[in-house]
Amino acid sequence: MKFLIIAKKEIIDITRDKRTMLMMIAFPLLLMPVLIGTMMKITTSQAEKASEKEIKIAFVGQKYAPNLFDAFSNLDKLIILDQIPIDSVESYIQSEYLDAAINIDSSYQSNINNNSQAQISIVYKGTDSFGTAKERIQMVLEQFERSIIEIRMNKLNLKPNVVNAYNVEFKDVASKQERFGKLAGGWLPYVFILFGFMGAMYPALDLGSGEKERGTLETILSSPASRFDIVLGKFIVIMSAAFLTAFLALAGILIGIQQISVIPAAFLTLVNEIFTVKTIALIMTLVLPVSAFFSAALLGLSIYAKSFKEAQSIVAPLNIVIIFPAVIGTLPGIELNMITSLIPILNVSLASKDIIAGVINPIYMTEVYLSLFGFAALALYWCVRSFNKESTIFRN
Amino acid sequence: MIDVKNLIKDFTLNKKQRKEMGDKYKNTKVLRAVNDVSFECKPGRVYGLLGPNGAGKTTTLRMIATMLKPTSGSITVAGYDSVSKGQEVRSQIGFMTGQTALYDRLTPVEMAKYIADLHGMDNKTFKKRKEHLFNILDMNSFADRRIARLSTGMKQKTSIARTIIHDPQVMVFDEPTSGLDVMTSRAIVDLIRSCKEEGKTVIFSTHRMGEVNQLCDDIAIIYKGKLFYNSTLDQFKSEMTKSTFEEEFIYRVGEE
Repeated sequence: MKFLIIAKKEIIDITRDKRTMLMMIAFPLLLMPVLIGTMMKITTSQAEKASEKEIKIAFVGQKYAPNLFDAFSNLDKLIILDQIPIDSVESYIQSEYLDAAINIDSSYQSNINNNSQAQISIVYKGTDSFGTAKERIQMVLEQFERSIIEIRMNKLNLKPNVVNAYNVEFKDVASKQERFGKLAGGWLPYVFILFGFMGAMYPALDLGSGEKERGTLETILSSPASRFDIVLGKFIVIMSAAFLTAFLALAGILIGIQQISVIPAAFLTLVNEIFTVKTIALIMTLVLPVSAFFSAALLGLSIYAKSFKEAQSIVAPLNIVIIFPAVIGTLPGIELNMITSLIPILNVSLASKDIIAGVINPIYMTEVYLSLFGFAALALYWCVRSFNKESTIFRN
Repeated sequence: MIDVKNLIKDFTLNKKQRKEMGDKYKNTKVLRAVNDVSFECKPGRVYGLLGPNGAGKTTTLRMIATMLKPTSGSITVAGYDSVSKGQEVRSQIGFMTGQTALYDRLTPVEMAKYIADLHGMDNKTFKKRKEHLFNILDMNSFADRRIARLSTGMKQKTSIARTIIHDPQVMVFDEPTSGLDVMTSRAIVDLIRSCKEEGKTVIFSTHRMGEVNQLCDDIAIIYKGKLFYNSTLDQFKSEMTKSTFEEEFIYRVGEE
């Protein structure tokens, strides 16, 4: 039971470390809501700005299509500049003095009258992030086109449905929860996988290489505690830290969403319906073995390092290794199956997506557990071996 | 009592280590750090292990403390074999190095309690022992202050307290005064003396000849992993051909 003594001491030690506490509690709880809130605010305000934006266009060939010109000139938040030399239109758009230009050629009216297609070319800059100018012009043109078609059909004594042979109705059988799960469910595990890793990282560095740096490693190695006790005690604490950090990151997101005023009420209701205690508990059962896997692997690497600094440089690039499968899990088309459910981290991401969507397959879920616990056990075995290896423990 | 017999310790060197150690070790795949070393440390006596850096002192002491396993040979500490009865050996020893080896975020009391708990001490015995040690080391004024905020002297006292909190019968000191100033070294010297008076078995490694003269009853000179002198300090003094310990040591090591 010596591992409990070690675990108790490590808990006292890390809870007094401000940096670890900041990373473990304050960071996930506060950062996520602030991040989500800021992103939502920026997106909403940018969208508002785009709809409020006054766009400037040039209308070349006004005399060939006076009606169309009128349709544009009557629009709000749209200014037609008529002093633009035709040759300079493109360079003006390029330099963003103009948002777009409409070119009408001389054959416009005759084409309209002859039931032919009139040529209209629009020049715009595609890097305009909201595509405001193009969209607004398109909207006016479509409206105007519909009125021309109506006139043409009346002349030909045809009903408008002649051009609409199908009346297609789409019915989506996926529940709102499923759609939400498949769409947004991917990034949620990404967040708690990353936080779980970060939550394990600091204590693992401190409890492994930190012992070497302080010279305390010899103190505990010369105590009656066995190497297994030492590893187990440290591992339990690191795993708890990882688990807690991941849980707090998830809690941070869910609490954050409730606090953000710009989130539509319907979406909020949906989120509250999906994230029941049962769903959260089920997700956390995945976080537990993945935290164990991270903790054992990081502790093993940390004890291998000669110093805290070396441990940091070994562990930091792993962030990318962790992110990679988590990101793949967010991609559409990657689903949980017999194979993907065996790949650690990716399986957590995919399984969480299905849990959120409410469509988790119990066979795959069992496979995910087996895989995660298997990898965690392997990592722990490797970690204990490292602690027993003289060349690792006394590398310096 | 420590009984070391025909102790050998080999380390396998990897490519990088061979490179770091220079041309001399370019083709050395296995480095013999301790080579057929035998000695005996008796209770109530202080045994000094002398040797320059890299002689094999730390490796020998780490093997005594069961941190490293001997390649061959045997070590018996207080009647227990260091390999088959590692845990029993560890429960008999107090190990101290030149580093204070403390946890900054704990207090001296917590530090001592941690070690006492690992040694399976019950609360009552711990309290009594702690009171005794904290009184004689004059530690009560900072007993509940975080170690990070203590002075070097206070840290050294805490380190002493945690080393002897479980009242070990065998004390292993690995260059305990290296890097310490005169005042803090003094505390360690006093500790070694009191351990001797209490009848404990004490082994310590050093390259400070003054300390050897001050403290040791028996001495051994270890160089390049081999023990080539092992006797009482008095015997060593009587055999001295040079005027000072330093000169005698350099002379003897030079002969090798």
